[in-house]
Amino acid sequence: MTCPVTGHVHADLEHTGHGGMLLECAGISYSYLERYPALIDVTLQVRHGERLALLGANGCGKSTLLKVLDGLIFPTSGTYTAFGEPVTEETLEDEQMVRGFRSRIGFVFQNSDAQVFSPSVREEVAFGPLQLGLDRAGVRTRTDDVLAMLGITDLADRAPFQLSGGQKKKVAIATVLSMNPEILLFDEPTATLDPRTQLWLTELIEQLSVVGKTIVLATHDLDSLGRLADRCLVFSEDHRIVADGPPPDILAQRDLLLQVNLIHERTALPQINRH
Amino acid sequence: MTSVRGESAPTPQPGQAGTPQWLLQPELAMCPCRCIGKRTKASYLDKTISGGAGLLRRVMFSDDMAGRPGLLQRIDPRAKILSMLVVLIGAALLHNIPVLLALYAATLVLAAASRIPVGFFIKRVWLFVPIFTGIVVLPATLSIVTPGHVVLVLWYWHGQPQGFTTQGLTTAGLIVSRVAVSISLVVLVTITTTWTRLLSALRVLGVPRMFILIIGMAYRYIFHLLSSVDDMYFARKARTLDKSKHDADARRFVSASAGVLIGKSHQLSEEVHQAMTARGYRGDAIILDQLRWHATDAAFLLAAIATAVMAVGGDRVLGR
Repeated sequence: MTCPVTGHVHADLEHTGHGGMLLECAGISYSYLERYPALIDVTLQVRHGERLALLGANGCGKSTLLKVLDGLIFPTSGTYTAFGEPVTEETLEDEQMVRGFRSRIGFVFQNSDAQVFSPSVREEVAFGPLQLGLDRAGVRTRTDDVLAMLGITDLADRAPFQLSGGQKKKVAIATVLSMNPEILLFDEPTATLDPRTQLWLTELIEQLSVVGKTIVLATHDLDSLGRLADRCLVFSEDHRIVADGPPPDILAQRDLLLQVNLIHERTALPQINRH
Repeated sequence: MTSVRGESAPTPQPGQAGTPQWLLQPELAMCPCRCIGKRTKASYLDKTISGGAGLLRRVMFSDDMAGRPGLLQRIDPRAKILSMLVVLIGAALLHNIPVLLALYAATLVLAAASRIPVGFFIKRVWLFVPIFTGIVVLPATLSIVTPGHVVLVLWYWHGQPQGFTTQGLTTAGLIVSRVAVSISLVVLVTITTTWTRLLSALRVLGVPRMFILIIGMAYRYIFHLLSSVDDMYFARKARTLDKSKHDADARRFVSASAGVLIGKSHQLSEEVHQAMTARGYRGDAIILDQLRWHATDAAFLLAAIATAVMAVGGDRVLGR
């Protein structure tokens, strides 16, 4: 692989170079305004090809963790390592590091309005690859391909802010897919979507996983959990991870889900068969 | 979605934990004698908020004219912007109302050639003219500001007639026609160019990238803020039973709404920045579109320069 910045030729990074480990957080904590804790002593690993769901009540720190994983905010204590390199404010000032990091991790925000800021859908989808230095012809091809893949070619010249919620979500996903990241972070992807779009998105995430993408998502959608994830992390309301396991095991622990205030005592949990 | 057991028949029982007794009693809503014939008009504040938001939306976000197969729509936005600047400078140098009126007529012809309904175009322009000139021009027409021959007497001051003067009205006419021409030119360019191409053209013409990015985002997020204004207004209206009053409470509502909007826009701006950073943005946005210059664009620009030169020349010939 030739580095686009320095021109140096490197051996391709093996996913298994760190035991298949892509992301690793060790004892990280984060507080907003140095007063309101959002994450306390969180330790986790994300391996290549994994589908990891972050579960927990509102305000437990799931979105904050996704922002830490995407290098948008930095933990106040603990260490975060991505692809074997420490991720800090300083290391992300390095041009080569930031380019590699941003191109390998894509983040679909919960609020699609924040993610669609360009004048047209086409430019929105092209924004990421252009910033990463791809040539315009290649970016046009990628943009057209992604729009066709998501079935939104007809929206290409529309202004993103004039679209419906479901269409905006599709555009937001297209903006990330056009960068062809190795890891996709989704913040409550199915929230506020109609059932049809929810199912479409669930199937898309399955499809992305099949082609080898690593998925980390924050979700409350317990019904789709079995399809969206093969491993779950459960957050307590005091911003700590209290359980880690496959969806059937987690959903079988009704007391745990009640204790973290994720479900109501009359919530009927879906039955997921262990494969 | 996760279902809740027994939610289909959640009949709350009086005294059930957490549910106050008053919430279980029906509220007297409509008087049993039904309508009593008294009607209240929507307040000025109501009309201003909903009407203003709707108008801004229509004015700023309708881009159907830019897609019509007209003359100006075929011209490169850079040529249009440069032509507009040239004619704007020319109009600023004119001192004769007839010459300005001739230029104004030319903008109407251009509008018609660009498939813009002339009535719509005139309304769009004259919507802004009073805003930009009204406050300045009105006093200038009076003899107390511009002394001269009084043509319409309004009152007497120490035996001297006071009112509109010929000189004042001429000055006002000059300013209004100059503003009308200027706004017509700006409206012609903005209405026949999509926002994307307009921003790209400004970028190519040397406007700093960061400035373009900021105004581009500001333009789009005005739409969201307008939606927030609408939502907040409707949320209040849905809970307002009595006639709206313009009292301290109403003022508090407006100021509180403004505060909430500032908070929301700050939160949104932070999220937008994070979303841009997440996709590799590092302060220097690269855009997809590259504009192309054709012979017709050069011809259009030359025609605009010739028009401006002829207008200024004609103005000099006519004198002040």
